[in-house]
Amino acid sequence: MHWKTRQKMMKLLLGGVTFGFLAYQWFPMVIMAVLSFTDPEGGVTFPMRGVSLHWYREFWADSFIDDFKPPMYRSLMLAVMCSVTTATLALAAVQAMRSRFFGSNFFFYLILLGIMAPGILVGLGMAFVARILGIPLAWYTTTFAVHMVWTLPFGMLLLMAAFNRFDHKLEEAALTLGASRWTTFWRITFPLVLPGVIGAALFGFTLSYDEFARSLFATGSEQTLPLIVFAQVDRQLEPTLYALGTTTTVISLLMIGFFALLFHIVRRRSRSDVAITT
Amino acid sequence: MTTPVESHRYDLELKGITKRFDDFVAVKNLSLSVERGQFVCLLGPSGCGKTTTLRVIAGLEEPEQGEVWIGGVRVDDMPPWERDFAMMFQDFALFPHMTVRKQIGFGLEMMKRPKAEIQRRVDETLATFEISEMGDRKPDTLSGGEKQRVALARALITQPGILLLDEPIGSLDFSLRESVMLELKDVQRRLGITFIWVTHDQNEAFSLGDTVVVMNHAQIEQSGPPETIAERPRTRFVADFIQGNNVFEGTVAAIEGGHARIQTASGIFAVPVDPSQAPAPGAAVTFSIRADILTSQPTDGHVNRLTATCRAVEYLGAIRRYDLVLEDGRSVKLEQFRSTGTRINEGEKVTLGWRVEDGVLHTPPAGAPA
Amino acid sequence: MSAFRQRSSVSYLLALPAALWMIAGLIVPTLFIVWVSFWATRRFSLESPLGLMHYIKFYNTPVYQKLVIDTVLQTGLLMGITLVLGYCMAYFIVGKVRGEGRKILLILLLIIPFWTSALIRTIAWIPFLGVNGVINQSLIFLGLIDEPIGVFLYSRTGITMAQVSFYTLMATGPVVYVMRNIPPSLQQAAQCLKASPTRVFWRITVPLTIPGVLIGQMLVFLNVMADFATASAIGGNKFTYLGNLVLNLYESGQLSFASVIAVVLMLTMFAGVALLLRVVDIRRLGAL
Repeated sequence: MHWKTRQKMMKLLLGGVTFGFLAYQWFPMVIMAVLSFTDPEGGVTFPMRGVSLHWYREFWADSFIDDFKPPMYRSLMLAVMCSVTTATLALAAVQAMRSRFFGSNFFFYLILLGIMAPGILVGLGMAFVARILGIPLAWYTTTFAVHMVWTLPFGMLLLMAAFNRFDHKLEEAALTLGASRWTTFWRITFPLVLPGVIGAALFGFTLSYDEFARSLFATGSEQTLPLIVFAQVDRQLEPTLYALGTTTTVISLLMIGFFALLFHIVRRRSRSDVAITT
Repeated sequence: MTTPVESHRYDLELKGITKRFDDFVAVKNLSLSVERGQFVCLLGPSGCGKTTTLRVIAGLEEPEQGEVWIGGVRVDDMPPWERDFAMMFQDFALFPHMTVRKQIGFGLEMMKRPKAEIQRRVDETLATFEISEMGDRKPDTLSGGEKQRVALARALITQPGILLLDEPIGSLDFSLRESVMLELKDVQRRLGITFIWVTHDQNEAFSLGDTVVVMNHAQIEQSGPPETIAERPRTRFVADFIQGNNVFEGTVAAIEGGHARIQTASGIFAVPVDPSQAPAPGAAVTFSIRADILTSQPTDGHVNRLTATCRAVEYLGAIRRYDLVLEDGRSVKLEQFRSTGTRINEGEKVTLGWRVEDGVLHTPPAGAPA
Repeated sequence: MSAFRQRSSVSYLLALPAALWMIAGLIVPTLFIVWVSFWATRRFSLESPLGLMHYIKFYNTPVYQKLVIDTVLQTGLLMGITLVLGYCMAYFIVGKVRGEGRKILLILLLIIPFWTSALIRTIAWIPFLGVNGVINQSLIFLGLIDEPIGVFLYSRTGITMAQVSFYTLMATGPVVYVMRNIPPSLQQAAQCLKASPTRVFWRITVPLTIPGVLIGQMLVFLNVMADFATASAIGGNKFTYLGNLVLNLYESGQLSFASVIAVVLMLTMFAGVALLLRVVDIRRLGAL
């Protein structure tokens, strides 16, 4: 076979695998969204019967899972808390690690452990801690604690990448111009790594908003949205769940879009700043 | 039609190569013939198409039009790994996961040579390039100069017909370049391999090349021995690009025998023309005169004259370079050996002159109004 | 390194909050699990005597040990599938797609689901897999089968299908990252040294992307080992892995025994990571 034909076929094959997988990955979510618009008589699978907003009305009404609105509010609040805290603590942690203090390697792996530790065990351990020490379980204390264990390492890795990317001579230049370390950090360093900070905030938000394994044992009676969804799947599957699933997926996508926009604006601005300073 | 016999005269032949990247034309209808054992330098500013030309020869880029012949074989339809050449990359492209020994043997291994032969030839090559003691080291432990040697050894061990070099010393320290250049020239002479060397540095091109090919805007501006390029720039671009030329713009006032009288803002000058290709009176033309041919002590033969004031003096070893201002505000460069001529002081007014035959009239760029 | 360094004391202050958080949210809970696993009573009480009671129970019950093997086998299967799928996709996106914009688009299409709810994605699989699900309906429509078959929902096939769609990203991402950092001149240099694309792939591309493969496989390993939600929602609690067992034991109040299983899960994961690092010479990680 001619070498160009062979290369073309290879490309076709690999492209087929890639697009095939992307379809495979996205299709269920699309189908779920479609099925959520089925008629009151429609079931949880095809054939779909008619088009209506029935299941959306159904889940918006208080009847479904004793009202989903408080759990959704809790999930959103928790996500915002994780987002802000992740960005802040990760920024401090990465800035600290730049000076390679004694034990900084150990510190790095300590945080990285949060990605590796299985969620269900972290939740289980937190439940024990609360029970033994007599701390009441709550989404804004114990759940918040274990969510951060999951989001902080992502924030740290993102910010490390951001810190590695900029020219450290800019900081030295600011220092030689007489700026204090404090001023240098806020006027030079921070604007340059801001895209990384935004990325850390995005991870903090979406990972916490959707987190379920870590919340399971650590949350107590005031449950978050993924927890009531999990409970409902165990009980009964109905198109209301599709409507809910579609709604929260849209919320996730909107958040990603929002952060992407923020990222874009900040990066453009910092680029023009750098263009002026250099 | 090209017969194979004709093609065998050349080690490398490009015929009418055109290569586009979307809307950008990187190489336009380029033809080039290189005889066996020649050292050819492709010289030009960045973006002129010299590297693309090299990659077309290698097969790393596929031209839209034209033919590539290597060693008398038409290779347009062959992938890089079947063409008879070797290449040195600007960043050396050493494989980070292989020891120097493995690295150098890689080409022979790909040619499915017996193990014993690979072993022997790698040993020889390591010895030839005086890198035997680095055989077991990985590239990240090598200095720039050592990497360069390994890359050269890796390329030459397969005994290629031609060696393509893409700015091969551009990433080396300035202090190393001179010695590496001499070494590479020596290697080329010893092995008799055709070298195609891409560079943007004219000193490199002039001190190494048997032939210098000056490129601009995807085309060849001029090709020839270094002396010709330096002393008889064919186009205005070459005259501007090569240091040491004073370029004048003007219009043809009259054609008189072997020369044209050209009206410029600084006066009327006589410049030799080829009577068969003489421009029409009134045509806009450019010509140049080398800074080291101008004299500040004109005699009767120096019929072209200029009055200028010295603005600055530079010392370049045996040479003094003067920056002078003409009465119309233009600047002119003058180079003189320190041993000859008297020193001109800053602010001093002098008369410059040159003989008719010293001026070089440029061919207008293709497509420009005559 | 940069001259911009704060004094050590400032670094410690900056690192302190994150370190304390990780200790309180991760290290202490883990130690508590280990502690509780040695409580030799059925009650959850601080007065419990310490002992190996629950470990002995685990040791004497082959069903639980089979569960460890099932979990490891399922994880191994997922690692195999995601390795091949993930590498093919990374190679296509980095090596074959032209234009930075298109590459970024494909990468985004790949990772956006990671930022949406895994639980919702699991639920989304259910209409696909059921007896009257999309897959069965399509197969009947294509004439490949006459009657709906039940191999998808409540089966290992269904669980595996869903897990592949969740975890392939983790195998692909790090390979894409590492592959994008390989200068194209390396592959071209190999071609110029007479290596065909197949040989360039095996001799240059593969060795240089091993760090990415390793990181990706580690992520898949850790996540599938601990995954219980997929098996629970799609497997209908019929098929369980170690994570499901922890959940079931916790819900039935057997906290010490749940801790033993948790410890077993942790040890298996440690062993797996150690093995992964052993299989691939870690010194090669420094190559890039």
